[in-house]
Amino acid sequence: MKRKSPMRPRKSGYLFVAPYVVLLVAIGIYPAGYVVYLALTSLSAHFTGLDNFIDATHNSYFVPAFENIIKFLGIWLTALVIFVVGLSLLLHSLNERVSAAFRFLLYLPAALAGAASVMLWLFMLQPGKSPWGFVLNWLGYHTLGDSLAPAHLPVVFALIAFWSGAGSWIVVMHGALATIPRAALESAKLDGAGAWRTAVYIKLPLIKKWIAYMVIGAFAAGSQLFAEPQLISEATGGLANQAWSPNQLAIFLAFHYDYFNYAAAIAVDLLVAAVICAAVILFRTGLFDVGH
Amino acid sequence: MLSHANSAARRTSTGQVVTYVLLALVAAFFIVPIIWLVVEAFGGNLGLISGTLGVWGVWLINSTIYSAAGAAIAIATCVPAGYAIATHEFPGRRVLLILTMLIMLIPTSALVLPLFLEANEVHLLTSPFAVILPYSLFPFGVYLSYLYFQTERFNILFQTARTDGCNEWKVFRRIAVPLSKPVAALIVFLNIVASWTNFFLPWVMYWSTDSTSHYPLPLGIALQLFNGETSGEYLGVIQLHTSSPPSAIAFLLLATIAPVVVVLVLAQRWIRSGQFQGMLH
Repeated sequence: MKRKSPMRPRKSGYLFVAPYVVLLVAIGIYPAGYVVYLALTSLSAHFTGLDNFIDATHNSYFVPAFENIIKFLGIWLTALVIFVVGLSLLLHSLNERVSAAFRFLLYLPAALAGAASVMLWLFMLQPGKSPWGFVLNWLGYHTLGDSLAPAHLPVVFALIAFWSGAGSWIVVMHGALATIPRAALESAKLDGAGAWRTAVYIKLPLIKKWIAYMVIGAFAAGSQLFAEPQLISEATGGLANQAWSPNQLAIFLAFHYDYFNYAAAIAVDLLVAAVICAAVILFRTGLFDVGH
Repeated sequence: MLSHANSAARRTSTGQVVTYVLLALVAAFFIVPIIWLVVEAFGGNLGLISGTLGVWGVWLINSTIYSAAGAAIAIATCVPAGYAIATHEFPGRRVLLILTMLIMLIPTSALVLPLFLEANEVHLLTSPFAVILPYSLFPFGVYLSYLYFQTERFNILFQTARTDGCNEWKVFRRIAVPLSKPVAALIVFLNIVASWTNFFLPWVMYWSTDSTSHYPLPLGIALQLFNGETSGEYLGVIQLHTSSPPSAIAFLLLATIAPVVVVLVLAQRWIRSGQFQGMLH
């Protein structure tokens, strides 16, 4: 616990935080408030309560968009938990130089996050062009249309998201594993625990909080999915429709129909989910120093 | 006894083989696409590429301006704010800290539509500021700066300077700013990687305009995919709607990611230490 010094200056603090606070209000708080206002009012600015929220659910794209995103999240989060945790534990049991080289390798695709990774994977999924063509053929996919069949899209988006995002989570897990006291690992070894037992009984419980952080954080980020379905839709002439994910639907309603109030209602749905996730990470995982 | 030890050794080596085969497969999954990209980019007819280089150059300059301006504002706001939250005592300090952390944990994409609606209202939609200002709000940078300036050793320096008669501005300018170099570099790195790869925000702000001259690189990539017209319906035969040859696209993709790869290689130390990476999302 740090003692508060009586000499800590007070008022000048406002001057140092002022530029940031202006930005925070203009770019963070004001737009969040404005979208809530739009969601609760009609085009003629009358208060309408929850009408926009209810009307938005009646849009024929609404239910499919949320079904799509739930399928995607289910696949993606399962893959993240199994492979990120498994790989992190595996790498942690190797010698540091090998492990460091691997972490960097796995992290590299983060450079292609967003549009670039979608573009690249459009080639990876094209049987005639892809270095993985033999795998695609073996699965019975002979054209890009086979790879991108509507039923495959949640898996395809999960694959792309995993490829460009898993590396950074592995790095986070490594950071968490590195904080495990050497003594705990030594004494496990003395007690005769092998690498497997040490991983499951010592390391895993000690990084539980970080796994929770990853799942909640990835859920919040994944529910915002936009670039992948949007680009695939554009690249293939509407195979994934332009309202595949909730965020796409909100944009679609705003851009094509000027239904700003419905769009705002969907944006508020997503924002509320994100804020709840953030609050759980902040106040329940104990990973962050919330000041004193 | 001896045979027991032998079998144990054999078991370990089998385990090791399995481990390394598994790791090789994982490495292949992550790295083969990047190798393909490099091979494809340099194996093609470079003449085909030169035609698109001009417009690509404009997008490269746009991306550079947006990211650099965003990072400059981020650093100018994050460092002093984190410094003040860590070393000053003022009413509202804790509220500001918690609000900052809450917003840093919300995916930036959750605020894209609200920002679009706001930009639409204030008629800033196609202005560069419509992307620069959102890039420059970087609460995670404030949190990093706050953690950094909590260091007890620094606080002794600040107190000494105050006792020696420095005013608050001098303490910040002469002592805190020079000390902030490592954390400032980390803020710039994380901020630039995030803004350089951002697709959703510029797409929403600029897609409605006919002119592509404001586009940053990720939108340029999207445009490569968009050369055909969309019918909005399911097509019997799915194919890429692009007229550019794969080698040209691969080359342009490589050019797009090259700056980020350079930054990543330079920042390996931080990536390996792993403390701050979760926030890249």
